[in-house]
Amino acid sequence: MAELMVRRFAFPIALGALLALGGLVAVILLRPGGAPTQAELAHQIAADLRCPDCQGLSVADSSSASASEIRRQIDSQLTAGRSADQVKQSFVDRYGEWILLSPVAPIAWLVPIGVLLAAIVILALWIGRARGPERPAAVPAVSEMDRARAREEAEALDA
Amino acid sequence: MLPDLGHAAIVAGLALSVYATVAFVIAARRRDSAMLASARRAVYVSCGLAALAAAAMVVLLLTHDFSVLYVARNNATTTPPFFSVISLWAALEGSILFWTLLLTGWASLVIWRNRHRHAVLLPWAGATLAAISTFFFAVMTWPGNPFTRVTPVATEGPGPNALLQNHPFMALHPPLLYLGYTGLAVPFAFGVAALITRRTDEEWLGIVRRWTLIPWIFLTLGITAGAWWSYAVLGWGGYWGWDPVENAALLPWLTATAFIHSSMVAERRGSLRIWTSALVIATFTLTLLGTFLTRSGVIESVHSFTESAIGPWFLAAIAISLTGSLGLLVWRLPDLVGSERPAAAVSRESAFLFNNVLFLGITFGVLFGTLYPLAVQAVSGDTVSVGAPWFNLVNAPLFLLLLFLMGVGPALPWGAASWGSIRDRLGLPVIAGVVGVVIALAAGMRGPAPLATIGFALFVVTILGDELIRGTRSRARSRGEAPPLAAWRLATRNRRRYGGYLVHAGICVMAVAIAISATQGQDATATLRPGQTMQVGGYTLTYQRLVQGPLPDDPQVMETRAEVAFSGRQSGRLATALRNYPSSTTPIATPSVQTSLGEDLYVTLQSYDPATSTVTLHVLVNPLVVWIWIGGAVVGIGAVFAIWPDRRRVAVAVRAPASDAPEGTRVRRPEPMPEAAATAVRVEEA
Amino acid sequence: MRALRWLLVPIVVVPVVLLLLHGFSRDPAAIPSALIGKPMPSFSLVTLDGRTVTAVKLRGRPVVLNFWASWCPSCVDEHAALLDAAQRYGTSVLIVGVLYQDTPDGARSFEARYGEPSWPTLLDPNGSLAIDFGVSGPPESYVIDANGIVRYKQFGPLTEQVIADQVGRMLGSATAGRGD
Repeated sequence: MAELMVRRFAFPIALGALLALGGLVAVILLRPGGAPTQAELAHQIAADLRCPDCQGLSVADSSSASASEIRRQIDSQLTAGRSADQVKQSFVDRYGEWILLSPVAPIAWLVPIGVLLAAIVILALWIGRARGPERPAAVPAVSEMDRARAREEAEALDA
Repeated sequence: MLPDLGHAAIVAGLALSVYATVAFVIAARRRDSAMLASARRAVYVSCGLAALAAAAMVVLLLTHDFSVLYVARNNATTTPPFFSVISLWAALEGSILFWTLLLTGWASLVIWRNRHRHAVLLPWAGATLAAISTFFFAVMTWPGNPFTRVTPVATEGPGPNALLQNHPFMALHPPLLYLGYTGLAVPFAFGVAALITRRTDEEWLGIVRRWTLIPWIFLTLGITAGAWWSYAVLGWGGYWGWDPVENAALLPWLTATAFIHSSMVAERRGSLRIWTSALVIATFTLTLLGTFLTRSGVIESVHSFTESAIGPWFLAAIAISLTGSLGLLVWRLPDLVGSERPAAAVSRESAFLFNNVLFLGITFGVLFGTLYPLAVQAVSGDTVSVGAPWFNLVNAPLFLLLLFLMGVGPALPWGAASWGSIRDRLGLPVIAGVVGVVIALAAGMRGPAPLATIGFALFVVTILGDELIRGTRSRARSRGEAPPLAAWRLATRNRRRYGGYLVHAGICVMAVAIAISATQGQDATATLRPGQTMQVGGYTLTYQRLVQGPLPDDPQVMETRAEVAFSGRQSGRLATALRNYPSSTTPIATPSVQTSLGEDLYVTLQSYDPATSTVTLHVLVNPLVVWIWIGGAVVGIGAVFAIWPDRRRVAVAVRAPASDAPEGTRVRRPEPMPEAAATAVRVEEA
Repeated sequence: MRALRWLLVPIVVVPVVLLLLHGFSRDPAAIPSALIGKPMPSFSLVTLDGRTVTAVKLRGRPVVLNFWASWCPSCVDEHAALLDAAQRYGTSVLIVGVLYQDTPDGARSFEARYGEPSWPTLLDPNGSLAIDFGVSGPPESYVIDANGIVRYKQFGPLTEQVIADQVGRMLGSATAGRGD
């Protein structure tokens, strides 16, 4: 019994906690924190570039000589004041789009997102249809507690 | 002598597989049990022949017989026996031989175990399995003969690929993975049989589910072992790079997992038969596709076996298999469309359906990303890359949603849920998740993905624990058992449910470990002279000296070792090396990994200067990595627990259906239990 | 109408098979150059003999710029093709080797073993020239016309045939008229 009371109160507390967490996250995210440091920006750029003489590794992860040189060039370009996009573009000018680990063309993003959204919508529609006749018959007045407990015990024994 | 014997065994295996295919088909159409028995025996013998050929190859490798091209390319006189044996699967032709052995092994096992059952399905399933074996034997007979001879005979060989002989996991990862891949041919074969014979009812579902779960376990362990191995060997400190071959192993795993979940819905409702059939077909097709991508040289990857003549053969196999199975599905579509009452909007069923949508979304994403460069190249001629940043961004939200569903699913009942029951079950888990996120925030973690992972994982684990506790309490109360005994009895009486919970718990452990190790690690690179130190993530490393010399158990390999003393949360000495193998022009890094429950200290020797003994070390501190492997083991244990046969079995009324069982066989179907029974015990189909 | 569902089979199978079939016709590791039609990157590097070579000095003749390393197996065959080309074309074509991720000692022992080249070998210790050209691994070569514009990238070892084709084009068009 006591357990059910705890559960009954747990939910509004949970809702409150969720809201509080949301607020906390919003505050942290919206705090005027600094822009990324140059080191962080360099790492981000290096993570988006492909190491030329590795098998699919990023420049950030690779320990090859060409990756080290590219990292050095990223640092010197950033120090010279260029933006992240300009730095990446300088490598694309020399290697082609292949050097980027994410394709630029929008279709590369639109297709998987589109397919997923379409699938979710189709499923939601399929679940949503023909709802009416499923209404259960009038249920005798059993107390909520008893009903919850009965369901609990039945479920526990359910295979 | 031995190579000829091996080759003869393969040719005989081909002949027998062809015979078995034809015999199974005749037995199916004519209900001829003599033909059926003959076909079965042909499968058993073909497995024996594959074993003979594999044994021959192993002996040739152990005796360093360089007159055989495969041995000449992948073995050296100095190769240690352990690595000689596992070189069976080190390169293309040997791996196909190994694959064929496992495939015929699975076929023999499933046919033998069901020789007195499923009289209608088994002949067609057998025919499908024999046809697949025929293909692999044919590949070994013509384009990919492992016993090809070479003249003149060399006196020394280059040894196995350097990356494949510096870690014992080479013995573990391919066999586990191949057991998974080949095992997935079995549910495919039964799926095809069910479509052909129009027996897409619960008989089909039971056998397909069991024979999907067992290979699924191997595939899961194989993928985990592969990640662990590449982590320990490749030196970049990561364990998953979305390399095309990694993706090739993941794709059938995703659809097989989706199938495992949707089959539970199909079992309860008798619905979704088109969907489950399609998933079974997709799983095997993706297995073939993955094999093709690995072996054809069409896509560049870490793993590429050398390009060879077998590529077109595999492409033909994909075309035939896909056309055949898709055609079957389309042909039988009217049978499969049932009275599909949609699920209640909020129920375990709809959670499973969304689970399937998410799994298929991830499958599509991974497949799309893997093939996109090829497609772009075909259409416009441009060369583009799709790498980790894209895959992580596309898949991470989907995996997070799946994690969330893993908690919601068990909390919802099968039928329409009432708000009260959901509310009572979700309160505590949500609080647990929020507390976890707050603690992580307080500890400084800021990335949305790891924070969400922690929150969802705690949510799920709390729900699962709650289920166990409530069930135990209920049982203890009603039967007077002590709680630990009640818990054990509860779990063993409901193996599928609690085994599934354990699997999900293992996934939660892996998810948190992956999220944290991928985002919270630290690393540094430094060039040091002997005696100098560097500091990373709470560790102080002192480089001591450089040692050069041959490996004790393989003197052909020259190793240059940097000995380092380290202190911090772990202390001791380690050696990280670069090795020069005769088969490789560039030195191979052998990183040193110091593992503790909290973190791994990972040290790679990037370069050295022998004149000054200066070394460049790349040091990473990766938190919680070992929990990925532990989580994987928990998943395996949970799955084994789930499918472990119940010793107590409830007697089932046997009813042989009138028309379609051949003479002298019995078909056993589970008798539906009367609704009034409060306890439902499942009889597991073999 | 019901028969339309059979279209599903070719709709799925044909694109998949065509796509994978197309994959056979290309080497996935061969990356086309982004520099075709653009000026060669400027540089100033030291050769094995200690002389300095700059990009400007290379103007006036077609150039074959060859990135190689002593640890690269297919560079051996390529070296023979280059020696042949040097003899065949003499001073009408300038061959320049660039050492890729290697040591001068390694380069010297390679040349001593496989034939001393008549052309300079540039040292690129940082690999910055390789990056400027977009090199992903040896051997890779670039054919540059007399005005310093990059015209062709060879992914993999050069052969006599390829050199003949590309250089022949350069020399042919050079005699046909200046100012390409």
